[in-house]
Amino acid sequence: MKITNQIKDTTIIITLDGELDASSSVMLDEALSDPEIMTYSKILVDCKDLNYISSAGLGVFISHLQRFEDAQIKLIFYNMQDKVRNVFEILGLDLLMTIVSDYEEAMTIADE
Amino acid sequence: MAKEQKFFLPYKLIKSRASHFVSPIKLSTVFRFMLYRTNAKSLFITAALISWSLLLANVLLAAESMHRESSNALDLPFVNNFLIVVFIISVFGFQRLSAENLKGIDFIGYLWNIFAKGGVAAYLSVALYMVYRMVTNYSSVQSPLLLHMVYQVNFGLLVLFLAKAFYVWRQLLLYHKNKFLQIAWDWYEILLFATLILTLLNFNYSSLIFMPLLGLIGLYTLFLCTNLKWVAYLTFNKKGRSLILLVAILLACYIFFDFFYDFADSPLLVIDYSDVGFLLLAMFFVALYTLASFLVALFSLPTSSVFEQKSEDLLNFQRLSQSIQQGQSEKQVYDMLFESTVKASDASAAWLEIFKGEKKDEIELCHQLTIEEEQIKRIRHLLLAYNIQHIDYINNNLDRNPGFRDLTLPWKSLIILPIKSKKHLFGVLYLLKDIEQGFDRETVNVLRTFTNQTILTIENLRLVHESLQNERYKEELKIASVVQDSLIPKKFPSDSWFEISTYAKAAKEVGGDFYDFLQLSESRIAIIIGDVSGKGISAAFHMAQMKGIFHGLMQQDMPPSEFMKQANSALSRCLEKTSFITSALYIIDYRMKGFMFARAGHCHTLYYNSMMDDTFYFQTDGLGLGIIRDKSYNNHVREMYYDYNPTDVMVIYTDGIVEARNPQNDEYGEERLRYMLTQTYHLEAEDIKYAIINDLEDFTGPTENIYDDQTLLVIKFKPTQPSE
Repeated sequence: MKITNQIKDTTIIITLDGELDASSSVMLDEALSDPEIMTYSKILVDCKDLNYISSAGLGVFISHLQRFEDAQIKLIFYNMQDKVRNVFEILGLDLLMTIVSDYEEAMTIADE
Repeated sequence: MAKEQKFFLPYKLIKSRASHFVSPIKLSTVFRFMLYRTNAKSLFITAALISWSLLLANVLLAAESMHRESSNALDLPFVNNFLIVVFIISVFGFQRLSAENLKGIDFIGYLWNIFAKGGVAAYLSVALYMVYRMVTNYSSVQSPLLLHMVYQVNFGLLVLFLAKAFYVWRQLLLYHKNKFLQIAWDWYEILLFATLILTLLNFNYSSLIFMPLLGLIGLYTLFLCTNLKWVAYLTFNKKGRSLILLVAILLACYIFFDFFYDFADSPLLVIDYSDVGFLLLAMFFVALYTLASFLVALFSLPTSSVFEQKSEDLLNFQRLSQSIQQGQSEKQVYDMLFESTVKASDASAAWLEIFKGEKKDEIELCHQLTIEEEQIKRIRHLLLAYNIQHIDYINNNLDRNPGFRDLTLPWKSLIILPIKSKKHLFGVLYLLKDIEQGFDRETVNVLRTFTNQTILTIENLRLVHESLQNERYKEELKIASVVQDSLIPKKFPSDSWFEISTYAKAAKEVGGDFYDFLQLSESRIAIIIGDVSGKGISAAFHMAQMKGIFHGLMQQDMPPSEFMKQANSALSRCLEKTSFITSALYIIDYRMKGFMFARAGHCHTLYYNSMMDDTFYFQTDGLGLGIIRDKSYNNHVREMYYDYNPTDVMVIYTDGIVEARNPQNDEYGEERLRYMLTQTYHLEAEDIKYAIINDLEDFTGPTENIYDDQTLLVIKFKPTQPSE
């Protein structure tokens, strides 16, 4: 699992590469718990190379969801593979979180 | 004599058996043995006292008769000799037994034992003789009876001294013995006691025939006296004390020798104990061994400090390597390292830096010896400038280096010893000495061995810690899987309305799959399936909570969607922030021939409708439990009602099934599962389950450790019974 950050103005793009399982979700939790992340208005998560997400990985996003919502920070997922999207959908997360097809769409939603 | 013989034989026998005692298991035997020993001791004492008294009486009687008849002949030489031999054997036998108690390496204690219990006898005998001389001088009366008394008492004291010294020396001589030495000594003892036969038969040992034999015994004694290993274990101070004691013992030997030599062949006496060869030989051995010990102790005095240092180094190595078993902390290991290296190198100043954490800039100065923090700072600064701070470095002449000269330090040699393994730098040790060439190659080798041993110990300590942690984790998993297993019902009610078949396989790291049922009324049954996020004991714990919620809420018989709402509200208060639960609840009504269900983020239910001959997934919305923790959850759960037909099949499962992977990392998937049902729906529930599981195992290949729990429930509705 590789997590990389890219910053564009008030947007932070987090790229997930690999499998988000119990052990790597700790890394993700650390990245999302960074107080600096609250200074951005949008968080874009690039899931192009995310091959698998475990319940622990989902749990990390869920635990931070409320916090971002309260701070009016938009959390947007894009480029998601079908099988990963299926996991989000089964759990019902597609109705809670913004999942879009590509970067452009993500940026336009983010700018709304 | 015969009595003694009887005594010796069984004693030896028992003793040889006693040496095999390892544990106090045969307590009764030991106890009997001890009783035997005390018995033997008191018997020896009695025999010695009786024989000595008889001897005294006999001698006095002879002296009295000699005085009267002026004849020098002793009436009963054989009786006297027999009494002498009995006395000697009794005293030696007694001392042999008491010397066995001497154990351990307190050698000064041994020497003190000889001196206090034996050597004093010599001074006592001198005092006695002086008193006798004074009495005879003042009263100017020649009293042969008194002289005989004194002579007889001195004989007793001599035998006592010799016996004591002989057997204490035996213990020391046999220190660190080998088999050869033990045999050599045993033969020596036998040989020595054999000379008592000469006395018994009234032979004169000084006759020419026995001279070569005596010479040989002398050589034998000389050879035995070279076994002085114990002297090497004395420290400098102890050697000094032992020298004094040895001189005192030697003096005792001299006093006795002088006394009995003076009275040898004296016309005043009726008996002459210098005729007893055994005593001479024993005296020879005692004196020679004392002398040898004295000389060896004296000449090894200058080198003893080296030996002491080496043995202390060795002891410290041992302590370092044993610190793991003793469960010591890293700090204690560093303490030991610092202490040992300072002692081994005789350093005049030193300090030890330990790196905390991964970053090298967090330094903890954990030991300091006669050096100011200011000086350390200056030296470290200089080393930084030379860029030699974390490498092996020896400078045996600091004054020659301009950088160090400018610091005006009171030391002239410096050695830097980094404590590092291939991967990790633990700390750095600095030692300083106030002389040039302070760290020679030998010392440096010892110091390096210390640091290497420390590295090993520290790394092992960390490994032990890690494996303990692992062990605890494994134990936790074991508990979790036991809990999980106990939460799952083993048996469903067998009913004529539907057949059900279940499959559950726990992953090694225990996921949180569970299922359960509750008979709501005669015709209605609730079935729940769920999956708790996370693994291990916390997952098992949440499973138990969910089971409790299920049984608690369903007592009130509520529709599935209401159950999900209330369960979410209940879980919101107790679930960890990152945890959530997916679940699906089905209430089957036989009478109505239909079922109601709600899904909370759980996998879609697979269904075969026999009327339409179609397999499909129920696509309903439903958010997992514990994701939204307020009332707004109520908008996220849907309920569905479905009428079933006879021979319809419902497949309920967890994500462990559809997310199972093959070696190519492909997932089993919903589509393959659906396909399997289209091929097997006509079978019984049990066989459908086996078909799916077999196909799943074909897909994943033979793996021992599945990644996630796998749970599968197959329900097949039966046609109405004719009786209904």
